Amino acid sequence: MRLTRLAALRTAILVAVGFVVVRVLYRIVFGGADGPGMLLVDLPRLRLSGPFEHITLLGPVTSGGVALIAWGAVPFALVVLAFGLLAVVFDLRTLAARGAVRGPVRTVSRALVVAWAAVPALVGSVARVRTARRLRGERSAASLLVPVLEQSVERAIALGSAMEVRGFAATRRAEPDCERPATVHSASLGYDGSWSLVDVDFDVAPGTLTVVTGATGSGKSTILDALSGLFQHVAGGEQQGIVEVAGVSRALIPPRETAGFVGVVAQSVRLSFVAATVREELGFALANRGVAAIIVTARVEETARRLGIQHLLERSTAALSAGEACLVAIGAALIEHPVLLLVDEPLADLDDSARATVIALLDELAHQAGVAVVVAEHAIHGWGTRADVWLEVGDGTLIRRNGAELGRLNSDRSQARPAHHRPPPVGAAPIAEIRDLTVTHGDVVAVAGANLHLCGGEVVALRGRNGAGKSSLLLATALPTQRGAVFVDGCDVHAVGRRERPSYVALVPEQFDDLFFSTSVEAECRRADRRTTTGTTAQLFAELLDADPDRASDLASRHPRDLSAGERLCLALAIQLTARPRVLLIDEPSRGLDAAARALVGRAMVAAATRGAAVLMATHDEDFAATYSTRTIRMAAGRIEPVTVTS
Amino acid sequence: MTSRVPAPAGARRDVSSRVTLLIASLFALAGFLWPLVATAVPKDAQAAVPVLALALVPIAVVALTLTVDRQMHSATTVALLGMLTAVGAAVRIAGTGVGGLEAVFIVLILAGRAFGARFGFLLGMLVISLSSVLWGGIGPWTPFQIFACGWVAAGAGLLPRITARSQRTAMWLEVLMLAGYGILASYAFGLIMNLWFWPFAVGAGSDISYSAGAPLGQNLASFGLYSLVTSTLTWDTVRAVTTAVGILLVGPAALAALRRARIGSARHRRAPGATPRSTVPRGGGTRTHLSTARDEAEAPQTAQRPSARA
Repeated sequence: MRLTRLAALRTAILVAVGFVVVRVLYRIVFGGADGPGMLLVDLPRLRLSGPFEHITLLGPVTSGGVALIAWGAVPFALVVLAFGLLAVVFDLRTLAARGAVRGPVRTVSRALVVAWAAVPALVGSVARVRTARRLRGERSAASLLVPVLEQSVERAIALGSAMEVRGFAATRRAEPDCERPATVHSASLGYDGSWSLVDVDFDVAPGTLTVVTGATGSGKSTILDALSGLFQHVAGGEQQGIVEVAGVSRALIPPRETAGFVGVVAQSVRLSFVAATVREELGFALANRGVAAIIVTARVEETARRLGIQHLLERSTAALSAGEACLVAIGAALIEHPVLLLVDEPLADLDDSARATVIALLDELAHQAGVAVVVAEHAIHGWGTRADVWLEVGDGTLIRRNGAELGRLNSDRSQARPAHHRPPPVGAAPIAEIRDLTVTHGDVVAVAGANLHLCGGEVVALRGRNGAGKSSLLLATALPTQRGAVFVDGCDVHAVGRRERPSYVALVPEQFDDLFFSTSVEAECRRADRRTTTGTTAQLFAELLDADPDRASDLASRHPRDLSAGERLCLALAIQLTARPRVLLIDEPSRGLDAAARALVGRAMVAAATRGAAVLMATHDEDFAATYSTRTIRMAAGRIEPVTVTS
Repeated sequence: MTSRVPAPAGARRDVSSRVTLLIASLFALAGFLWPLVATAVPKDAQAAVPVLALALVPIAVVALTLTVDRQMHSATTVALLGMLTAVGAAVRIAGTGVGGLEAVFIVLILAGRAFGARFGFLLGMLVISLSSVLWGGIGPWTPFQIFACGWVAAGAGLLPRITARSQRTAMWLEVLMLAGYGILASYAFGLIMNLWFWPFAVGAGSDISYSAGAPLGQNLASFGLYSLVTSTLTWDTVRAVTTAVGILLVGPAALAALRRARIGSARHRRAPGATPRSTVPRGGGTRTHLSTARDEAEAPQTAQRPSARA
């Protein structure tokens, strides 16, 4: 930090010297630098006419004249230096951090703090968009700025909500009635007068764990947001009937005023981190309310101990694994000892061991600490007997269920694999070959000498824990950085040009939204069609969706990011399949999808394999892998494990 | 029981804040125009004018920030302001290396258009502050740059709403208007930044110098030539072209992306089965939902702002 500030002084000195030089040059151009001393150059004078007749260009330049002009520029140069010194003495970053908590310029200061914290994410965002552009074979400048803006806006929305629910800009604090964490009575929720959920009735008792389940997009999050108040006060939704949290009317009181007793964990926890370090993140709600620093520290450490994350306190929030990020977000929501804790799809990103940790933690919070916990979750396995109440969202309302009724839902095996899909015969010639592929990120070896064969018509599941190197292997296969590592149809992919590469190998990355550059599905399809016949992508999309023509044409005019997760993934698949790649790579295709959407995506993969492509998907979803793959490969610590299992 | 509460206090504050904005801007303008104003000042006081001008603009910046700050104090606004500041600063720093290709105007104009004049002004101010600190380019010009960039962004927010028969036409008309505004703003920015700096840049006593006693016409002619030679034909033209081309290229998609912010969270929460999504005005439409949010009247004005896509 010190260094960059001294750099500011160095820049100021350079600028000050530059100013003097520019002054001398300007004066030579506008009338020369005549004066005492030696004549350096005698430039011919040029007298102007018209309104400029009082001006002469050029003229003789003498050493004394130059010295006089330079001397005249010194006062302003000193002012420049003074500003440089100011920049060294006052550190804007520290000032902003202080001003964000109290004082008259909290908005500007907090915005600066947010901006500063956003720089790493922004760099990451640019890198991701660059990769996505290469995956699609794109190059234009617009395809860089627009997705980066889109991601920034998306993050701003998540961040704004996270700050709101933790009491940012609150001027009042509501008083809770701890005996009634939540009461919802004949409530309707919707936008613009059309109700998406009607007649919602339920109560949440202290010390219980409630799981709200239902298909993706059915309204699970709407229920949670209606309890947190984000639905009514940030998203612009309308509510009728009664929604009360701890005896406070949700329709009247915004989230920031109930931050003291309602804890909220957002769906995308990483997008919602408001601070740079875990310590600040945990203490945000308290610091924001002006609690003394010493108390904040004590509470933060108490909470970290409770969750077993003391070792993460000094870590940057950007450097957390998915499981750690989830625990930190829960910790930040618990810091005020809430009466009601709302958790939106905490398990979507987690591997099995992290899932177990989070489920056990929420169980303990409800049944030992007495917090009323409400979780939205479409994957119901794992919760077993820990949930006290099951609520299912469907057909525009909420139904109380018991766990056994729900057991049959959410199983991929119920969606049978299409009969015509058979694994290729043993001994078929491989169409893709990965030879001794190594990927390193700095000092860390992500993939160590991977060797792999893929045959046309097979769907291979690449399994392993988070951080095993699955994504790195896929990316390096799609965009090889070394020669002689990836061969498709006997051709080195590294040597293939940007335009032709998509017809050899295509990757749908984990954050598949990165592949979208346009403002409508139609435009997106047209863009993908540029290298083939018009209409190919749109037709492929409709096929993958298995939708009736009306539905498909309804989707055409919509913004790609407005589609449901399953539809977006199908669009990404259609875009990447347009060039008919020999090898299709998909990173975590089933992540965050409900049973119906998983079946959609699974069928799309099988369809691609049936047409002769080799499909390789990275997944830690056992059910999904078992249903759709013909072969499984396991990875651990960057190495492909030698034993492969044929399913 | 629907969550609706009127906010008359907000409306009153809105008017008073507009007045403050106007007054502070006029003060700052006087600071920019000091070389032209100075001729009207008595001879004895003329030496103090440049010093006063250098002090006036930072004071106006502080006064304006203090006024607008409280009104914009809501979580979503702050988050948006912060994220867009980071984007703007990154674009400016990435652009300085290319030499005058300040693509930052594209971000400022589009964001000012999408979120309104006050948001735009603060964004201009923050982008310049952050990028200057990161890049090390702080100097007496920083307050002037802050004001000029704030005006550029705020101006885009004050442009008239566009209505046309089809959404597509309205969108392109709006983008064309913004591109035209971008060209104008680029040259105006160059001129006004030259105006206050010109007497410092060339010093006193030359033919082209600002001369305190000379008639206004002569000073204007000197300034015109200085400006033409030093920036209008070069930097300003490059900036105007960059801005206009950039807005035409990314404008429609970027405006759509920005306008998702206001109702963006609504988008995620919508249940597809029960609501026909197509009835929702996407892209910041003209929907005017009311809420109990304290700062509703001062929040970014996407809700009231005309949308090409609605």
